[in-house]
Amino acid sequence: MSTIPGMGLVRGMGLTLTRFFQPKATIKWPEQQADVAPRFRGRLQLLYDENGSLKCETCFQCAQACPVECIDMGGMDTRGRFHVHWGAAETYGERREESALRRSGRPVADEAFTRFEALDTTAVDEILAAHDDDPRELLAILEEVQAVYSYLPVAALKHIARTTGAWYATVYGTATSYHHFRFEPPAVATATPAGQGQKVAEAGYLAALDSALRFDGKAAR
Amino acid sequence: MSFVVTPPAWPKVLTGRADTIAANPFDLDAAVRTGAFGALKKAAGMGASSTIDLIAAAGLRGRGGAGFPAADKWRMAAGVDADQRYLVANGYGADPGSHTDASLLAADPWAVLEGMAIAALAIGATEAILAVRADDASLVAKLEGAVLAAEEAGYLGDDAAGSGRRVTVTVRALQGTYMLGEETVLIKALEGRRAQPDQRPPYPAQRGLFDRPTVVNNVQTLAAVPWIVANGADAFAAIGATACPGTVLVQLRGPAGGGVAEIPTGTALRTLVDLAGGAGSHGLKALLVGGPTGGILPAEALDTPYEPAALRAAGAHMGSGSVVIADGRACVVDLARLLTRFSADQACGKSIPCRIGLRRLSEIGDRIATGKPRANDAVTLGDLAHDIAASALCDHERTATFALSATLRYFRAELDDHLLRSTCPAGVCTPIAVGSASSRGASR
Ligand SMILES: Cc1cc2nc3c(=O)[nH]c(=O)nc-3n(C[C@H](O)[C@H](O)[C@H](O)COP(=O)(O)O)c2cc1C
Ligand code: SF4
Ligand code: FES
Repeated sequence: MSTIPGMGLVRGMGLTLTRFFQPKATIKWPEQQADVAPRFRGRLQLLYDENGSLKCETCFQCAQACPVECIDMGGMDTRGRFHVHWGAAETYGERREESALRRSGRPVADEAFTRFEALDTTAVDEILAAHDDDPRELLAILEEVQAVYSYLPVAALKHIARTTGAWYATVYGTATSYHHFRFEPPAVATATPAGQGQKVAEAGYLAALDSALRFDGKAAR
Repeated sequence: MSFVVTPPAWPKVLTGRADTIAANPFDLDAAVRTGAFGALKKAAGMGASSTIDLIAAAGLRGRGGAGFPAADKWRMAAGVDADQRYLVANGYGADPGSHTDASLLAADPWAVLEGMAIAALAIGATEAILAVRADDASLVAKLEGAVLAAEEAGYLGDDAAGSGRRVTVTVRALQGTYMLGEETVLIKALEGRRAQPDQRPPYPAQRGLFDRPTVVNNVQTLAAVPWIVANGADAFAAIGATACPGTVLVQLRGPAGGGVAEIPTGTALRTLVDLAGGAGSHGLKALLVGGPTGGILPAEALDTPYEPAALRAAGAHMGSGSVVIADGRACVVDLARLLTRFSADQACGKSIPCRIGLRRLSEIGDRIATGKPRANDAVTLGDLAHDIAASALCDHERTATFALSATLRYFRAELDDHLLRSTCPAGVCTPIAVGSASSRGASR
């Protein structure tokens, strides 16, 4: 309690002034740890590059790391896949324009955001029960769910997240990092069939190498 | 699955039993008659620390690519205070063009299982996991059968080979990406998490699967362990290169054929070319050593011994154990960009060198090969490869630069033909920018 009225304000401004003239400090994280107040909340801001494009690559890592699931995003990830958001469509500052990936000249499809379809999750429930709702069995759960629906519907992923207690970002992030999962419904004929993602990539690589070496498939594998 | 025939004088550490049990490699009794699980009983009597000392004396190094001393890893894991430790046998075989590990598992699963049990006892792990590819469902089923048989016979299970200690083995069939072979990614996959590597340290041996100390060893590394226990450290240390003794499986490919061969480490690359049936009438142009992230070595490097340190110095690595002959018809620039593109596509996207660096690198390769290079592409290529290697999070990015770096280092003339004269001496790369065709191109 200050006895002189306004003293608190002066002290506060004093601190501001001191900080103002202090040199900027670069902390060599992680060797040095910054002294962060427990209730400090940094500001979340996406940066733009010199071309005015968002620098975010939609890699989904921040969304996975965020302990309160407050980060989500739409747009193409680095694997050329469309991230489905779980919030209301209006809440997204959509990154619809070029990412570095697109600037690189690779053709990247741009599917519009569609709200996910509701799903009869009885089959998902059975699979989850067989795995004791254990998020450590996530890969097996996802594989079995894909076997039922022949792709991974968003509604199923959400259901898995809710039941296992794993964050949706984790479930979705895990699924997208394995090439044998597929997120497009069977109606999307151009998509790689379920379970074949890596096999197609590997066969393509081996065939390209074979023809570059002029082995014509003759040499033993 | 039979192996490439090698000179009879070459020692057989990994495939010694394969011929004898070839009729049915998954018959436990037949394997036991040839000595399987004898070493496990011996190791159970020897105790954990003497087993680790023995492996250290033998100088066994990892066969998964990095060549890390096995005993150091085991000691690290055994030294950490924990309620549970894990042993993971890495039989994923990430390179689709190399079947070394799968061949070993199909020809003699018992050597791997016995090695796993010995390693598990040595580090104090009660749970061991054999991670394999899900592609070959029949192999997975046979391996599961083998584990059951070994459990029934008392070599694994609650009282593994009379040691009084529990060692259970689980076969886990995985599919995903190339990165799944990397040890921290493999651990993530076993935990059901996103397939991206972790920063080291802490090493998996300190904090791995479910945050417990975990030893990840390649299946070949583990298959050598029973042999060392049975024949002694000195006998093993006497085989092959002094710095990395023993034998290793290589996947040979060339115009004349190929296959999987067991060779002593330190064998000259020239000998491997001969084993693969030679380079044929077009002559040897280059040797692709190490799989998709491997290096491309010129004919002058044929005297390099197949051994981690020497290969690294030459700009390649053991990697997936693949050794491919490119003959005179191939274009090294084309090969390098193919390898780099696959490596970039398979990279996990976690770190910037991985996500953006490798993509830019493969784009430079594509530009050069398609006759649309930018003026400073050769310099950018060198700088970028250096920066990626220096800032990489995992070994994948570091080694993915090898292929294009090799063209800079060994095949500069051929690269310059593409860059400066828009010609491909081997006549592989197209389209060549017609307008800028040089005197050399025009005089053809
Ligand atoms: C991209 C990448 C892929 C790898 N793939 C494999 C693999 O398929 N099999 C394997 O045993 N090791 C693989 N490794 C090496 C492992 O990370 C690890 O070093 C090895 O399994 C350890 O066993 P070792 O000490 O017996 O060599 C890979 C490494 C990287 C960076
Ligand atoms: S998604 Fe990736 S690139 Fe985008 S803000 Fe998050 S961490 Fe950064
Ligand atoms: S961090 Fe992605 S491949 Fe190494």
